[in-house]
Amino acid sequence: MESFFTRYRNPLVLLAILLAQIIGLAMQVHQTAAGRTLDPSDSSSVRLIRLWAEMLVSPPERAIHFSKTGAGSLWQNYLDLRHVRQQNQDLQRTIDRLRLEQAALLQDALQGQRLQALLGFQQKYIYQTLPAQIIGSSGSDQSRVFYIDKGSADGLQHDMAVITADGIVGKVRDVFPHTAQVLAINDPTSGAGVILETTRVRGILRGNAYGQLEIVDVMADQRIKPGENVLTAGGDQVYPRGLPVGTVQKIVPDPDRDSFIDVLIKPAAALDRLDEVLVITSTQPRFSPQDQQDIATSQALKGAEAAAAQDQQKATQGMNDRLPGLLDPSLPPEQQPLYDTSNPNPVAHPPMPLHPDRFTPGTSPNTGAGDASTPEAAGSASQPSQPDKSGLGKPDR
Amino acid sequence: MSLLGADYRRDLEIHRYPVLVYALVPLTALVLQAWLPRLLGRYAFFDLPLVVTVYFALGRRSPIQGTIMGAAMGLFEDALTHHAIGVNGIAKTCVGFIAASVGVRIDVDNHTIRLLLNFLLSLLSSVLFIFIYRVLLGLELEWLWFTELFRAIGNSVIALVLFPLLDRLQIRD
Repeated sequence: MESFFTRYRNPLVLLAILLAQIIGLAMQVHQTAAGRTLDPSDSSSVRLIRLWAEMLVSPPERAIHFSKTGAGSLWQNYLDLRHVRQQNQDLQRTIDRLRLEQAALLQDALQGQRLQALLGFQQKYIYQTLPAQIIGSSGSDQSRVFYIDKGSADGLQHDMAVITADGIVGKVRDVFPHTAQVLAINDPTSGAGVILETTRVRGILRGNAYGQLEIVDVMADQRIKPGENVLTAGGDQVYPRGLPVGTVQKIVPDPDRDSFIDVLIKPAAALDRLDEVLVITSTQPRFSPQDQQDIATSQALKGAEAAAAQDQQKATQGMNDRLPGLLDPSLPPEQQPLYDTSNPNPVAHPPMPLHPDRFTPGTSPNTGAGDASTPEAAGSASQPSQPDKSGLGKPDR
Repeated sequence: MSLLGADYRRDLEIHRYPVLVYALVPLTALVLQAWLPRLLGRYAFFDLPLVVTVYFALGRRSPIQGTIMGAAMGLFEDALTHHAIGVNGIAKTCVGFIAASVGVRIDVDNHTIRLLLNFLLSLLSSVLFIFIYRVLLGLELEWLWFTELFRAIGNSVIALVLFPLLDRLQIRD
């Protein structure tokens, strides 16, 4: 017996280790009505292994990350200082413009909120965010997850949305004491409800094997064109409604189903080059104190200017509605009706009298040289057969 | 006498390293594997833990040590992803065992053999990973054959540079 174990020691150890791992795998997979799936919430033992791995890898990753950013920031700060005055002026101008836009949009936003309240619909606004730095990744292109330097100690929880100023990035999948694992939106197992901005077509966003974003399960629709913006739909309980996702890049037929298409999306956030992200830690059906403060400042500084601009715009719109337009904005210049000379039925000019009479201007038999000098007489005498271009001929009396 | 002679010759060819190397090299490989893809993006076609597993398995020439090393590296890699823990573990366990078994029979200091072994074992690791995920577990997995091929080539190139560097850390009598 002893010789058997000694002789087959190597394959026995291999089998034992493989068997243990196969049993461990079997415990993580569940059979559901939709087929076999991986348990989305890790069991305590699996979570423990993930925690050990994270504790082992995270400190060196942090050290590398912060030493890199520290050394880089020294040089970057020097470069930034060289252009800081110009940047400051540019930013000030941008702030002024945005304040004006914010003040102008405030009334519409408030009206929208009132209407939503009447309809019983509650729009969730981003109430609180937490900035976090990315310190590492899974290291596998089959698993598009990354790690951030904030965890449960900072108030992070499962399924919190992770965004940048440009667009959505992913959601928190697993939370550790001082780090968290984020599942990126371009992972094949991720999902987000999205809506196309113009055509209002809804779909589910996910990643493919190439790490591209695509909207799947969309019926073929001729209206969907490249360049259209894609926003979050807000129905997935993770991402608030209206956040930018990207733009339509390409439309390809679904290889598995006829009459369905896959819409490839160019992400708004640079998913391959992320350094810092924002975790949405709280959404509320009202503006955050910071938002309210910004709105109040904009209203105080630019409210009058925005109101005047809005009044002027309304007055212009009213005039346009009341007066018939000579120019049709939807037509190119060469097709405008004002310049159209090909009209087969022009307004008829009153026919010229057969005999001169004293009632028709310019045709009086007693008309002398002095009368012919009047514009009416001159016009009638010089152009008797030209139709009246204005269409307003004088009636015979 | 002849048996003793063979064992003695094999013992001489077994590479030995300081304990710190056994601890730090795999850890560094795991950390770099998690950190470098952030810099290289989609061009990170390598698997450093696999390269390190192959190196130690070939050098130590002990199937048990190769198996344990492969299992540990694979499980750590799995733990950093959001996939099931054990898929990489099984794949690298097999790779470690095979590398060590092959290492007993061939000259592992030859660069061409090292390059070829790394390429083949990388492909084997990818095949095992996909087989376990799609067949054994029955889960959906999208994969691209050229990514796996590029990864095998990347691993071979890294091994060509890394193995001579790690050889310098050997304990020499």
